[in-house]
Parts: sequence; C-alpha cells; structure tokens
Amino acid sequence: MADVLIKSVETGHSFGPYDVTISPERSASYNEAVGGDESPDYGNSLAPMMTIAAALTELIEDLGLFSEGLQTVHAGQEASWIRSINAGEQITATGTLASSSMRRGSKFATVKVEYTDVDGSKVGDSSTTIIVSGVDA
Amino acid sequence: MPDTQFVAGAELPGFERFVPQDRVDAYAEASGDHNPIHLDEEYASTTPFGTRIAHGMLSLAFVTELLAKSFPDDWHSGGKIKVRFSAPVIPGEKVSIYGSISGVTETDEGTVVTCNVGCKKPDGTDAVSGKATVPLRQI
Repeated sequence: MADVLIKSVETGHSFGPYDVTISPERSASYNEAVGGDESPDYGNSLAPMMTIAAALTELIEDLGLFSEGLQTVHAGQEASWIRSINAGEQITATGTLASSSMRRGSKFATVKVEYTDVDGSKVGDSSTTIIVSGVDA
Repeated sequence: MPDTQFVAGAELPGFERFVPQDRVDAYAEASGDHNPIHLDEEYASTTPFGTRIAHGMLSLAFVTELLAKSFPDDWHSGGKIKVRFSAPVIPGEKVSIYGSISGVTETDEGTVVTCNVGCKKPDGTDAVSGKATVPLRQI
C-alpha cells in the first residue's frame, strides 16, 4: 500500500499523457453496452462520455484505486466538448490533480483532464471528483 | 431539436433503461473499468453498498444520450455537463432518464439552452443529477 499514489499524491500532480484513441470496434462495444438499438446513432462520432471513460480507466490505474483496502466512490463529473471526436481519431488526455483534501478519514480528490487532438488542439475537458476511503489505513 | 420547444420548462424526451448485470459487465469491458465493486459480488458485499453497483459513468452515459437525442446537431459540439452521483444504481433496476429546459439565454455567441438533467432510480431518488448547457448552432 505504501506505493499507492492516491495516498501521497499532492495538488498539482500531473497525469498522463494518455493515448485515449478509441477504435471503431471499441466504440461499437461501448454503444452496445450503454444502449444498443435504444441509443442514438452517433455515426462515426464517439459517444461523448466514451473518451472520458477511457481516461478515467487510466487515472484509476495510476492512482491505484483498486488497491486492497481502498474503496472509491465516483462523486461528481463535469465534461465539456469543443467538437465531436471520431472513432479512431488520435486523442491524448493529460490530467492534473486540481484539489485534494482529507475529510472524516476519506480523501476527496478532483482531477481535471484536457483532451487534445493530433494537432495539439483542445477538443474538450473533464473534471472528476472521487472520494476514497481507506487511504489512512 | 425534435419534439421540444426552446422554452424554459419544456421537458426533454425522457426514457427508461433497464440495467441488468450483463449491461454492467459489458460496460466494464468496453470502458476498461473493472472495479470489483461493479463486478464481484463477494467483494461488493464487503462495501458500504452491500452489493454490486453500476458504474456512475454508465448512468451518466444514459443522461448524455438524452442530450444527444434532444440536441442532435449541437450537443457534441460545445455541450457542457456537470453532475453529482448521489445514489448507486443496483443491477436489476430500471432507471428513468429525465431532463427539462431551465433557461434559454442569448449571448454574443448565440443561443444557449440550459437544462436540468438526471437519472432516477425506481424509488424516485436521483442516482445522477445536474445541469447541462448546449449552445445552439447558428444557421
């Protein structure tokens, strides 16, 4: 547990860059899981939350949130988009720990993530707030 | 925007979505989020929830589907959403996705629609709730 990042990470810590390029096949699997025929037809575009979900998976891994003794709750989520993202389009996510505090034995952390395309142009951003218990064990 | 007028108080075309464990499993596979609290009943029984719960991002995906259906030309380009996850969705539940327009604002960049959106559990409590803004494309 000593090496679990969520226990020691401080505000301003950088995450990534992560390659969150979503293949057409993975996009189709995501759309099928969320709603299948009941979902809108996004055409070649990704469902807006898919890229954020991919970045979250990377953050969860880096922060060690599945480590024994920890329990994590996803408390809040923000997202904004400048333009739609196509399946297969190369997208890079970079994150920063925007805030971190201990309250009643749990760690409250907010990670802001920016998404850029192959030209380095921003296509969107997100902010994820989690509550992690067990960090003081 | 189909079937909805751009006026405060207008309801977005909500829908229901069944959330069986199969859907949670499939979402875990597609998203890569294999947190055992979503997948492993034995592990989940030791958590404060006492059982497996669906991913919050899955419930949020339902909510953003509502926005994509309501604003098919605009949600993907310039849309913003801010939500809190206030209760877990338990696999086997059918949730209700809802939304309404809370305001329509004219800005220098054009018209911006603000909506209250969310996802309710069968008992009527919010699993997800928040606000979304959608800038309408200038024609």
